[in-house]
Amino acid sequence: MKSQYFAGVDIGSTMTKVVIMNRAMLASVIGPTGPEHRKLANRVMEEALAQASLPFDDITYVVATGYGRINVPFADKQITEISCHARGVSYLLPRARTVIDIGGQDCKAIKLNDNGRVVEFVMNDKCAAGTGRFLEVAAEGLGIKLEDMGRLSLEAKSKVEIGSTCTVFAAQEVVAKLSEGVPLPEIIAGLHEAIAARIHSMVGRLKIEREVALTGGGAKNIGLVKALEAKLGFPVLLPPEPLLTGAIGAALLGKDIVKQAAASGTPLPRSERRLQEVTLFTR
Amino acid sequence: MVEKGAGKGLAAAERYYQDYGCRAGELKRQGKRIMGYLCAFTPVEIIAAAGFMPLRIKGDVNEPITKADAEMETIVCPLVRSCFDVSLKGKYEFLDGIVIPHACDSITRTYDIWKYTLNFPYSHLINMPHATDKPSLDFYKAELNTFRRSLGRFAGREISDQSLTQAIRLHNQNRAKVRELYELRKMNPPLISGAEVTRLLVAAVSIPVTEATELINNVVEEVKQRGKVRAAKPARLMVVGGQVDNIDFIELIEDSGAWVVADDLCPGAREFFSDVADTPDPVDGIAERYLRKICCSRTFRERRGSYHEYLEQRFGHIGRSIRDFKVDGVVLYIYKYCDPYGFDVPAMKSYIESKGIPVLYLEDEYSMSTIGRLRTRIQAFLELLGSK
Repeated sequence: MKSQYFAGVDIGSTMTKVVIMNRAMLASVIGPTGPEHRKLANRVMEEALAQASLPFDDITYVVATGYGRINVPFADKQITEISCHARGVSYLLPRARTVIDIGGQDCKAIKLNDNGRVVEFVMNDKCAAGTGRFLEVAAEGLGIKLEDMGRLSLEAKSKVEIGSTCTVFAAQEVVAKLSEGVPLPEIIAGLHEAIAARIHSMVGRLKIEREVALTGGGAKNIGLVKALEAKLGFPVLLPPEPLLTGAIGAALLGKDIVKQAAASGTPLPRSERRLQEVTLFTR
Repeated sequence: MVEKGAGKGLAAAERYYQDYGCRAGELKRQGKRIMGYLCAFTPVEIIAAAGFMPLRIKGDVNEPITKADAEMETIVCPLVRSCFDVSLKGKYEFLDGIVIPHACDSITRTYDIWKYTLNFPYSHLINMPHATDKPSLDFYKAELNTFRRSLGRFAGREISDQSLTQAIRLHNQNRAKVRELYELRKMNPPLISGAEVTRLLVAAVSIPVTEATELINNVVEEVKQRGKVRAAKPARLMVVGGQVDNIDFIELIEDSGAWVVADDLCPGAREFFSDVADTPDPVDGIAERYLRKICCSRTFRERRGSYHEYLEQRFGHIGRSIRDFKVDGVVLYIYKYCDPYGFDVPAMKSYIESKGIPVLYLEDEYSMSTIGRLRTRIQAFLELLGSK
């Protein structure tokens, strides 16, 4: 039998991720999401195919997920990021019963049962506080790189209290603290504390069950991870590449769908395997 | 008058829904007097018996709230603010008056704002208790009699028992017709979609009761012709919430691949599933229905027995609909700053989940721009139901 390949395309608000899998992961590409989702979906898919040395026709099934999932013209199916994160985490970290995903512009918590199925979820996408955007704005105000924040915060001897819950005001508050002479690490630690408190209170509505897995860009910030662990009172699990969980889950759900269809003998509709140059903006 | 035949059912409902209040405006020009009201707790029988056509005031999710904020603080629920905003913009300027029941704080505590800002010839607040015990019922009955006398004076004639009994009969007939319509939702797939039901019921509270009964009857006859040709969708959902007077949210659910087959909403099952009993003093039957039979979070039912029994007392009607309409999942759709429903969310959620039915709790702001953002949650909920 010819081997089967599954692609997962996760278009998040900030980053676009693609993986190609058969039994293992053959390729993964991460790129920033621009304003033109479709162009980007084409480009990252092309890159992933090159990495895996596969022609597009060999991909058995493509599942798109994330905020931009409807803008993937070559996807066979769209599935929400809630289901995909759950599937990805239950594959990578089977002991996890709660997933906290800290994305660029939203934050969600998902509760899983013993079979890795979604039981319940909560989501915040109304407000930047509690999302990656909060740290992005603060990093900009402080003149540092987002990816340095975690490391820098670990040098803090204490942390300042950030009073503003509004992202824009918090950025101003941070600049004021800096001019007062508060050491940078303590300010960043304070920011992590604020965002962790926000996330912890949202997740609390689900009645958290161990183990807790952390995914999304926020999971790459060691300072934020530590702050959340302090709130939870126990360590969290981290996937090898927290940005890829959704895309991996999408590919695996595609595999599940193909398997189910084969078992029941139902034909699966598929989109054309062609990378079209499409633009979101009509002129 | 609503005529029978093609185009007189769903198409007529669509017209009344799109141009909400058009029939009332038309009747007003013919000399009929029109009384606006808020909320399912306004006893429309008394208004109809006084010779007025009751018109339920509705908001508009597609109309941004621009004028109301100058008069009403934003802690008032967005539905009430929208109703007030469209009123300020002249949507209901043909009204002879407005009747407001003590339903929730957002409605009651803005009564003076409605009264003095809109300045209709007649305004009345019905002080309605929140508890259901005997003293509360007695108090409420006295309040209803006060309203009856006050409206009678404004109408220029006393409201007779006979006209009240007649109005009660017509409204009960109307409710029975809605229940007949709901029977068609029990089939799988349902003969009528959730969006069609909501559109029809919104239209129905904007026209005289006899016309509404006929309109609903026309729809019942029309959809019965459909037979079993409608697409099967994987999930049957129930929506529970306050006043949902726009179809957009229901449409979003049905576009995402589910049928909305049951509800506990206004207009919806909440106000059409209970009748006014035929009592020697008609006000007794009215008081009993509005205070004790309508199951809404604004009414507090005293706790008796175990927590489980208490939940059954308060939310048993939801459990019965889940069973009768074969519901797979429930969406709790609550407006931000809706105190009564907001307070009840944890209890309602635990009650429904105890029946083995998953719950999706959504908070919304009664605006098209926020409704669209709920799409991912609804799709994820349907995926969750599909993988069970």
